[in-house]
Amino acid sequence: MPQNEHIELFQKRYGFRMDYQERQRKKKAREHKLQSKMAQKLIGIKGKIFAKKRYSEKVQLKRTIKAHEEKKTRKKEDGKVPEGAMPAYLLDRENTSQAKLLSSMVKQKRKEKAGKWDVPLPKVRAQSEAEVFRVLKTGKSRRKGWKRLVTKVCFVGEGFTRKPPKYERFVRPMALRFKKAHVTHPELKATFCLPIVGVKKNPSSPMYTSLGVITKGTIIEVNVSELGLVTQGGKVVWGKYAQVTNNPENDGCINAILLV
Amino acid sequence: MSSCTAKTNVSLTSQDFIDIVLSKTQRKTPTVVHKQYKISRIRQFYMRKVKFSQQTFHDKLSTILTDFPKLDDIHPFYADLMNVLYDKDHYKLALGQINIALHLIDNVSKDYVRLLKYGDSLYRCKQLKKAALGRMATIMKRQAQSLQYLEQVRQHLSRLPSIDPNTRTLLICGFPNVGKSSFINKITRADVEVQPYAFTTKSLFVGHTDHRYLRWQVVDTPGILDHPLEDRNTIEMQAIAALAHLRAAILYVMDISEQCGHTIEQQVALFESIKPLFANKPLLVVLNKTDVIRLEELNPEQKALIQGFINDDIPVMEMSTFSEEGVMNVKTEACERLLSHRIEVKIKSKKVEGILNRLHVALPKPRDGCTRPAFVPEKVIEKRLEKGPKIKKKTERDLEVELEDDYSLDLKKNYDLPADFKYDVIPEFWEGKNIADYIDPDIMAKLEELEREEELRVESGVYEKEEEEMDDEEKEIHRLAGKIREKKAIIAIEGRIGRSGGAPVMPRAGRKRERSVSRLRSEFEELGVDMSNKSGAHFSRTKSRSASRPPIKKARADSAGRVSSSSRVTPRDQSGIRNVELKAKAKKMGHKAQGKMNQFGKAGEADRHIAVKMPRHLYSGKRGIGKTDRR
Repeated sequence: MPQNEHIELFQKRYGFRMDYQERQRKKKAREHKLQSKMAQKLIGIKGKIFAKKRYSEKVQLKRTIKAHEEKKTRKKEDGKVPEGAMPAYLLDRENTSQAKLLSSMVKQKRKEKAGKWDVPLPKVRAQSEAEVFRVLKTGKSRRKGWKRLVTKVCFVGEGFTRKPPKYERFVRPMALRFKKAHVTHPELKATFCLPIVGVKKNPSSPMYTSLGVITKGTIIEVNVSELGLVTQGGKVVWGKYAQVTNNPENDGCINAILLV
Repeated sequence: MSSCTAKTNVSLTSQDFIDIVLSKTQRKTPTVVHKQYKISRIRQFYMRKVKFSQQTFHDKLSTILTDFPKLDDIHPFYADLMNVLYDKDHYKLALGQINIALHLIDNVSKDYVRLLKYGDSLYRCKQLKKAALGRMATIMKRQAQSLQYLEQVRQHLSRLPSIDPNTRTLLICGFPNVGKSSFINKITRADVEVQPYAFTTKSLFVGHTDHRYLRWQVVDTPGILDHPLEDRNTIEMQAIAALAHLRAAILYVMDISEQCGHTIEQQVALFESIKPLFANKPLLVVLNKTDVIRLEELNPEQKALIQGFINDDIPVMEMSTFSEEGVMNVKTEACERLLSHRIEVKIKSKKVEGILNRLHVALPKPRDGCTRPAFVPEKVIEKRLEKGPKIKKKTERDLEVELEDDYSLDLKKNYDLPADFKYDVIPEFWEGKNIADYIDPDIMAKLEELEREEELRVESGVYEKEEEEMDDEEKEIHRLAGKIREKKAIIAIEGRIGRSGGAPVMPRAGRKRERSVSRLRSEFEELGVDMSNKSGAHFSRTKSRSASRPPIKKARADSAGRVSSSSRVTPRDQSGIRNVELKAKAKKMGHKAQGKMNQFGKAGEADRHIAVKMPRHLYSGKRGIGKTDRR
């Protein structure tokens, strides 16, 4: 025992008080009273935090109780085999059921009819110009109102230089220029932070596409060389499309789903 | 240890950290904002929150970073010890992670503050602030592991014994179970556990002892086994670290009775293997457990090994911690050796000349050649020789040591009584009388003499008291005084009884029927005053109200002609006063008494001064719950 653990040393040599175990037991037994007192007394933000914590604790408690009860009740075992169960030597094969074949055929036909883009967010709210642009008053007496400030997040390419300030109509502030997006792979369920290559299409207006404005539902092209994908022919895939799934101007970051 | 504690108070878990910072942000920044405020005000509001959270996180994390000691800045002994105990790499990594988190949080805050400048609605600004705080919280959540590790390190670090690496130290090492901890228990007050199993001592222990009016540190190490350095476990590595870095006198303890489970050959082999660590340090080999087997009783091969030490100029000493022989000698020898070693080192260093220049031992020069010894008269010398050698009286302690188990303390053996009376048991009472009263054989004679003396005194009138003759007046006064005393006592007791219970008391105005004529009459009659004569009386029976006659309302005027209200209770300034002149006199006296106070200009009840009309703690701050409309 280390030299300065006086309490433990004393306990080792002389043991505990005669009523120590009793007191511990009683203290523990009283704990539920303290909990209920706190639950009643706490108000305001503290009360909310406490209630939330308590709720999750209760959920856990109920789960364990239910699990215990399951053990207690005895059920007769019926010799039903769960559906889809296979003997071990057949496990590697991927069986396609009849229904699955049919549904995949139907989906294929529909895709061909609908068009090339089959995206996760088919419909998005259109952004009006009033939303996306803000009038910037210029001139000595602040009367000229032909300049516009972009209020949404945008992407400008590498090597982008502004037009001379006197002539630029659309001002894209530096704070709202983003270079990276958080892209989720839908099957792997993993998210990567990938650099943006360009804005492919903004569903609201082609003007936004040319300006590089990124809103919810925009298709962007991202650099996936990090993922190390390879085509059939052995070539390395380095760019893929992704669709933006959040409102970047509210969250401060671009979240997208990869279109595979 | 002064260099090496982590000074933090308890370091927090990551969840607590987040909770604390977020609740602090909520409390210390303004909470109210509306849609209709100017957009710049809304932006400022949310930017403030983001910045505040960032600052709080930054402060807390940087205190953690500064409080933990940097392994490069502390004494190499402690650096090595910490490496052994906590793994230097892990430690540095954990602190590095915290540092990274710090920078990440700063960056997040910067980005979001920049974004907030372009927020054009309350909703957007609020979402951005939520995103910012959320991101900072996520960064902190990832640090849970590091924080937990650092908390454990901090706790363990605060419990390390305080070893000063620069002072005089004795270091005790050797195989497990040879008796190192027993030795340190004997010379210091360190209460180290001693048990028969190996590796009882699992960490370094410190004790302090004194020698030559100086304080010495004694460090006890866990036992070391004989295998190469790479195979050593954490416990042994602590001992090695201590050996390597502390400049101390080394006491290598060996068990010559081989009760520890290792032969003398093995112990000598261990000595040889750790010999490089003993360079430049005064060394002492101590043979312990000599109560079981002495050095002379060993067989020649083992003796030869021990002789090998002596040949190498390493002093070998015997001791037994069980019987305590030789323990003090070992300690003295080790201390002396270390002291001389340290002095040598100091002399060799350059600082010595500066000190030596200032030291000068002055010896008086002899004036002439004749010696002047101490003068003892011849007679005294003769007497001393006559007396012979001093006979040492035998003490009880000596007797106890001699007789050992048979000894019992007998206080009655030196009594000055004849032998058969010495051990008699004497009772305290007999036949209803105290024996102590009769112990003296001449006690009756003494009593008779005393009585005779007393008679003589009484006859001569020493005890005559002068009885004064009191005349009637004085007698009367005495009697009255007695009565007054009695009455006072009764009133005091009644008052005390009356005050008890805490029953509700009617206010003075409500006590109507207290002062009545009948009461007056009875009290005065008790005192002996004749109350039958009514004509010259100032009191009269109060009129009793009857239902037939309506009360005649007239203005009541008191003797001074002032009209008073129809309350029955006399006001306070009249209640004790008999007539008008006395009232005037009382008023005058009252005014006079106040004059002095006024003249001194002392502050009275009306002169209370309030320094601060609006103390800040009453007029500012948020309420925990509720509105702040009323203050």
